[in-house]
Amino acid sequence: MTLDISGDSAALSFTEKLGQIPWSFVLLITAVACVGFAMLYSAANGQFDPWASRQMVRFTVGLGLMLFIAMVDIRIWMKMAYPLYGLVMVLLIGVDLFGSMGKGAQRWIDLGFVQLQPSEIMKITLVMALARYFHGASLEDTGRIPFLLVPLAIVAAPVALVLAQPNLGTSMMLIMASGAMFFLSGVRWWKFALVISAVLIAIPLSWQFLLHDYQRDRVETFLDPDSDPLGTGYHITQSKIAFGSGGLMGKGFLQGTQSHLNFLPEKQTDFIFTMLAEEFGLVGSISFLLLYCMLLLFGFIIAGRCRHQFGRLLALGLTVNLFLYLFINVAMIMGLIPVVGVPLPLISYGGTATLAVMVGFGLLISVHVHRDVRMSRRGLGDL
Amino acid sequence: MTEINYSLTGFDLAGGDRHGQSGRPEPRIRVNGRAAGALAMGKSRLVVMMAAFTVGFGAVGAKLVDATVSFGGAKEPSVARAAARTMPQVRADIVDRNGVLLATSLHTASLFADPKLILDANEAVQHLTRVLPELDPVALMADLKSDKRFVWIKRNLSPRQQQEIFRLGIPGLNFQREERRVYPQGNLAAHVVGFSGVDNNGLMGIEQAFDTRLKENDEPLRLSIDVRLQHVLRKELVNAVEEFRAIGAAGMVMDVKTGEILGMVSVPDFDPHAPPPPQEEQDTDPRFNRNTLGVYEMGSTFKIFNTAMALESGQVHMNDMFDATRPIRIGRFTISDFHPENKWMDVADVFKHSSNIGSVKMAMEVGPQAQKDFMAKLGFLRQANLEVPERGWPMVPNPWREVNMMTISFGHGMSVSPVHLMAAVGGTVNGGVMHPATLLVRDNVNEIPGTRIISEKTSDQVRKLMRLVVTEGTATKADAAGYLVGGKTGTADKVKGRSYAANARISSFAGAFPMNDPRYAIYVMVDEPKGTKKTFGFATGGWVAAPTVGNIVAQIGPLLGVKPQDANAPEIIQALAIRPPPAPGSGTGAQVAAIPVTMTSGEDRD
Repeated sequence: MTLDISGDSAALSFTEKLGQIPWSFVLLITAVACVGFAMLYSAANGQFDPWASRQMVRFTVGLGLMLFIAMVDIRIWMKMAYPLYGLVMVLLIGVDLFGSMGKGAQRWIDLGFVQLQPSEIMKITLVMALARYFHGASLEDTGRIPFLLVPLAIVAAPVALVLAQPNLGTSMMLIMASGAMFFLSGVRWWKFALVISAVLIAIPLSWQFLLHDYQRDRVETFLDPDSDPLGTGYHITQSKIAFGSGGLMGKGFLQGTQSHLNFLPEKQTDFIFTMLAEEFGLVGSISFLLLYCMLLLFGFIIAGRCRHQFGRLLALGLTVNLFLYLFINVAMIMGLIPVVGVPLPLISYGGTATLAVMVGFGLLISVHVHRDVRMSRRGLGDL
Repeated sequence: MTEINYSLTGFDLAGGDRHGQSGRPEPRIRVNGRAAGALAMGKSRLVVMMAAFTVGFGAVGAKLVDATVSFGGAKEPSVARAAARTMPQVRADIVDRNGVLLATSLHTASLFADPKLILDANEAVQHLTRVLPELDPVALMADLKSDKRFVWIKRNLSPRQQQEIFRLGIPGLNFQREERRVYPQGNLAAHVVGFSGVDNNGLMGIEQAFDTRLKENDEPLRLSIDVRLQHVLRKELVNAVEEFRAIGAAGMVMDVKTGEILGMVSVPDFDPHAPPPPQEEQDTDPRFNRNTLGVYEMGSTFKIFNTAMALESGQVHMNDMFDATRPIRIGRFTISDFHPENKWMDVADVFKHSSNIGSVKMAMEVGPQAQKDFMAKLGFLRQANLEVPERGWPMVPNPWREVNMMTISFGHGMSVSPVHLMAAVGGTVNGGVMHPATLLVRDNVNEIPGTRIISEKTSDQVRKLMRLVVTEGTATKADAAGYLVGGKTGTADKVKGRSYAANARISSFAGAFPMNDPRYAIYVMVDEPKGTKKTFGFATGGWVAAPTVGNIVAQIGPLLGVKPQDANAPEIIQALAIRPPPAPGSGTGAQVAAIPVTMTSGEDRD
C-alpha cells in the first residue's frame, strides 16, 4: 500500500478515491468470506442451499454497500453519527415493543425484505456516536466526570434496551467496545478500576435479580459443562468433541462427523468455527485465526494513519468490535467463556451480522480514504 | 520536538485538527508540551489495547491447541452423573446381585378433587367416568358432592389418562405428583421383594424390612438374589405343582460359603403391582411365603442333622451297627421303617435307606438334652434368621422328653421353616460353620458371620452320606450329570387339625452340590403332591422333589459357573466313597430297591 501523506483527500476526485481504497484489505475480507461460504457449503452437507448461496448474495450486497460507504466523505458520516444513533435507538425501542418473537427473545424487526436486528447495527452506530463525541475532546475534557456523563448515557441507553430483549452477549459487546473507546480517548485508569470493581460487586446481585434462568444455566454450564452433558452443557460438550475429533490436521472438507451427523447444534451460525476446526484441524483453524488477525491489523494501521480523532476512534472502535465478535465467538465455543449468542462475522450464516460487519468495514475504508481530511474540533464546517 | 512518521507506533492522538485549523496542508506534524503528553498517553493506551488483543488471541490459540490435539486431563463426562441428578426418588431401587432391577419408582400423577370447587358434579362424574370407566359413578358422585375439601379420585394415572383429564377442563380437579412402585420382574421375586402400598410404605418382604433404608438412601439396595436362578427355580416349581397337582411348592438355593440366598421362590405367588388380600387359609394364600413363614415337620431331611449330631458326639461311629430288625414301641407309638430292611445296619445304611429305627437308635446314644442343645445350635429353637418380616417360629416340644427325641431324630414332633433348614444344611456340608442366611449381598468376604456347629471331619462324613443317597439311595433322580448332587429326601404327613392327614404330605429334598466341595445348598419342597402314573402313584420326596432338584441343578450349575466333574473319576470316587470302592465288575449297588406297587401304609417315610 502506498501512502499519500500530502494533500487534502477531501479534494480527491471519485477515481482518486477509488485508487485510495486499500484493495488488499478488500481482498482479505473477501478471502475470509470465502472461507465462510465453504463452511456453509459443508454445513449443508455439500450443498449451496440453503445457506451458502444466500450468504453469497448477502456478502455481494454487503460488498457494494461497503464500497459505497467507503466513498462517502468521512465528515458526512461524522455528521450522521448522532442521527444514525438516534434512528437505531428508535429501532431498538421498536423491537422491544413490536418485534417479532424469535427463540424467546425479541431481536428482529421484519422489514419485509430483510429481518433487521437493530442490536447488531447499534454496535456500529454506538461506536460512531462515541467517536463523534470524543472527537473534539481534550485530555482535560476526558478528565472531567461531567464530561463523561453524556457518553455514559449514550452507552447505557442501548445497553439497557438490548438487555431487555434479552440479549446478554450483544449488550456485553456494546459495553466492552464502548469501554475500549473510553479507554482510547484517554479516560483515566482509576475510573476504569472504579467501574470494574463496581461491576464485580454487581455480579452477584444481578445473578440473583436480573439474569434469566437460561442465562444462569449458561453460566453454570460454563463453570461445569460436564454437569449436564445432555442438557444445557450439550453445545459445549459436542463442540469439544468436534475439536478433539478434528485433531491436528482435521478430518477433511465435508468429512466432519460431529457436524454432518448433526451432533453439533447451530453449526451454520454460532458454532461454525467448531466445524471448521473439525474439518481442517488445528492447522486450519490457526491459519484462519491468523487471517482474521490480519483483518484486525489492517484496522489498527488505518487508525494509526488517520489524522483526525474521529476517524481514529471510529477505526479503533470498529476494530475492537470485530475482535470482540471473533474472540467471544471462538472462546465461547471452546468453553473459555459462557455460551452467549455471538456469531463469527463473515463466516456464520446471518444477514444482519454480515451486513453490519460490511458496513463497519466500509466505514473503516472510508476512514482510510479520508484519513487526511481536515476537521474542526466540532467536526463541522470543513465540508 | 517529535517527528511523527505514519506508523502504528507513532500515530498522533493529539489530533491533527488543532493544527489543521489553519487549513494549511501540513505533512509533518509537530507536537509539543501538552500535546506530547497526550501523544504518550495515546501510545500507551494503544499498546495496552493491542496487548489485550494479543492476550485474547493467545488464550484462544492455546485453548485451540488444547482442544484439538491434547488428550487426557479432561474430566470424563459421565452420563451416570447426568442420570443420577434426575429426580429425587421417594424409594430407592432394589436390584438383584447382578444389578438387575427388581423394584423401582416411576413418577406418576394422581387425580384428586376439591368438591367445593366443582361447579357441576353431574357433568364432572359423566366426563370422568368416560375417561376412567373403572370409577364407580355413585361413589364418585357422593365424593364430589361432599363437604370435604379433598377427595382422591384415582391414584397413579397413566400419562394418557392425565392428558385426557386435562382436556376435560373441569375446575376443581387437580393432580398430585406421586411415585408408583414398579416391579419389572413381576411375580418372579414377589415374596422376597414384597411390595409397597399406594402411599409408598413397604408392606411386605424386603420392601417392608428396609422401608426406612429405602426412603433415606438413594443407593439401590442390592439383594443376594440372582434373577436367573430365580427364573429356573420358579419354572421348575410351577412345573412340579402342575405335574403332581400340588397346592404349592417352595425352593431355595443358598451359597453355603456366605449364607447368601441366591434364589427363593414360593408358589403360588402374586403380582406385586396388585397384591391379593391376605387369606385365612395359608395353604392357598398366594402371599404366604412357604420358605420363611411356613413351618413344617421336615421328615427324613432331619436325618442329616441327626446323623451329624450322632457322629459329632463321638458316641456313634461310621461303622457302628444298629439293630433295625424290629419296630420300636414306645408308649402308644410304634416306630417302623418305610422300606423295612429288617437287618442290622451301619450309619451309611441307616442314612441311605432312611431307616427311622436306626435313626432313633443313633439318637438314643446321644440323649435328649444333647439333641436339644444341638438343635439350638442349628438355630431351630428360635425364629428364622432372615431380613424379611415374614418369618415363622419353630414349633418345639416342651418338655423335651425321650419320645420327642425319638421322633425328632427322623424329623417329626418338631417344625421349622425351610429357611431354618437351609442354613443348617449349609453349615453341615460346608465344613461345619453355619452362616446365617441372608437376602442381602455380602460384599465383604472376610467378614461373614458364622458359628461352628460340627467339626470338619463330621461335615466330610455327612457329605459322603448325602452323596450316597443320590448315587445309591432314595434320591437318584436328584442327580444332575457332572454336578455331584448330594442330599436327603423327606416325606412328611401334614398335620391337619390334631392328627396326621392321610393323603396330604410335604415331599422335599435338601441337599448341596458339588458334593466333593459343596458351594451351593438347595432345597425343594412340594406341598401336598399327588402321585402320577409316571411315579407309580408315589408322591414321596424321592419321586417328586428329587427330580425337580435334578432339573434345577442341571440348569443353574452352568449359570453359577460350577465346573462339571466326572463322577467316575478316581479322585472323585476317592473323595466321596464311604467304604473302599468296590472291586471293578462287582455291580453298581442298589437303585431304589424293590419298588412296592401299592402303598402299604399311611406312614411313608423314605
